Amino acid sequence: MKILSMLWKNLIRGPRTLLFPARPPVTERFRGLVQFDPSLCTGCAVCRFRCTSRAIEFKAGKGEFTWSYNPGQCTFCGRCVEGCAEHALKDGHLEHALSQAEDTPPIYLVQGELKKSYTVARRPPAARPAATAGTQPAATSKPSPTTSGGAQ
Amino acid sequence: MNLITALARLLIFPGLLFAVPAAWFFLWVERKTVALMQGRVGPPFMQPFFDFVKLTAKSTPPRSGIAGALMRSWPLIALASAAGAVGLLPVLPSSGGFEGDLILLLALLEMPSMCIIAAGFSSRSIFGEIGSAREAALSVSYNIVFLLAIVSIAASQHTFRLEALAALPASPLRLLGIVAIIVCLPAKLHINPFSLPNAEQEIYAGPMTEYAGPELAMWELSHGLEWVAATGLVATLLAPHFGAWWLAALVFVALSFAIVLLLSAVAAATARLAIDTSVRFYWQCTLIFAVLAISSALFMRYRL
Repeated sequence: MKILSMLWKNLIRGPRTLLFPARPPVTERFRGLVQFDPSLCTGCAVCRFRCTSRAIEFKAGKGEFTWSYNPGQCTFCGRCVEGCAEHALKDGHLEHALSQAEDTPPIYLVQGELKKSYTVARRPPAARPAATAGTQPAATSKPSPTTSGGAQ
Repeated sequence: MNLITALARLLIFPGLLFAVPAAWFFLWVERKTVALMQGRVGPPFMQPFFDFVKLTAKSTPPRSGIAGALMRSWPLIALASAAGAVGLLPVLPSSGGFEGDLILLLALLEMPSMCIIAAGFSSRSIFGEIGSAREAALSVSYNIVFLLAIVSIAASQHTFRLEALAALPASPLRLLGIVAIIVCLPAKLHINPFSLPNAEQEIYAGPMTEYAGPELAMWELSHGLEWVAATGLVATLLAPHFGAWWLAALVFVALSFAIVLLLSAVAAATARLAIDTSVRFYWQCTLIFAVLAISSALFMRYRL
């Protein structure tokens, strides 16, 4: 008889599925297509190293590098975004067919149709001292809570 | 029953003009109710009709020889029998009929099931053959109860004429018979817990596995008409006698709808039983019930 109360509860609660063209709203942590910002990229290629599905390709050239991303191969694991120290990569929260941004899901007919390539000029190595300078205030600022704690 | 009344009953009400939309509606109600009870949205209202139209537009694989001709003819025979069974139901008051039309109705109700068995074996698919064997075993089990229940009702009222049966007031014995018929309906309509002849996720669609296109559409429609005929039979036996035809028609539709809801709830609440359990259920539990009904009917008849 427990099944009858379960059925009744289901009937009262309403359906938890959607009719076909409707799609559920994407969640806060939904990972869409990876977004690349060439102005922040240093060309370290850690993203290529972390990409298990080989969706990210990296070609180093003279004074420049080519970064390319093929969403057709991407599994949206987010490891590239996680490993990008310069935050040049971001999860495209709504940049996905499932995100309800479009009425009908797109149809891709050619392999690698979505692939995007960026050729970025390497930045001068002047960024290095800036990075060390950036860590300096952090190191100095660290003792301040302890000192304040000691004062209390 | 003259020719015009017979044609009107077969083609208009409760025949094809009423029964075909009612068949799609009942199929939708069953699917929707089960879906809602399982927390799903279920199909849109017009889905069974769209399915039918879509299937009729598709082409079927060419089948030559006698097997092909048989496979094409089974759904048509099943459809014609189910439509005939619906046409025989004495829904409207003083709609005619003849002595012994109950027996014809039972035969016509049984034809789709026999066509399914034959179709499964003529398709020569292993899944079809398994489904047909299950349907045959199940049919032998539930039909005894079904027939005994109907015969008990007929014996208690001294008639095999449907209209006379429907017009007589309901007695406790008749209600017992109706309950026995309702117990048989899930097996007759292949819904849970007796859905093993067309057990999806197990033997694909059973006897329907090799069917496609318009032939499958005919099967779907005949299944829907079986719903209308089987629930309609119970509705006519349950419904009190009315003088006004519109009231009789309304009560018939409302009672049929209520029985569809009841059967859908049973289908949603139960899981598919194995063939031995199903056969044991009908032979051990329900047969006692039916034998009790018929013996008391006969006893009453000789006492009166």
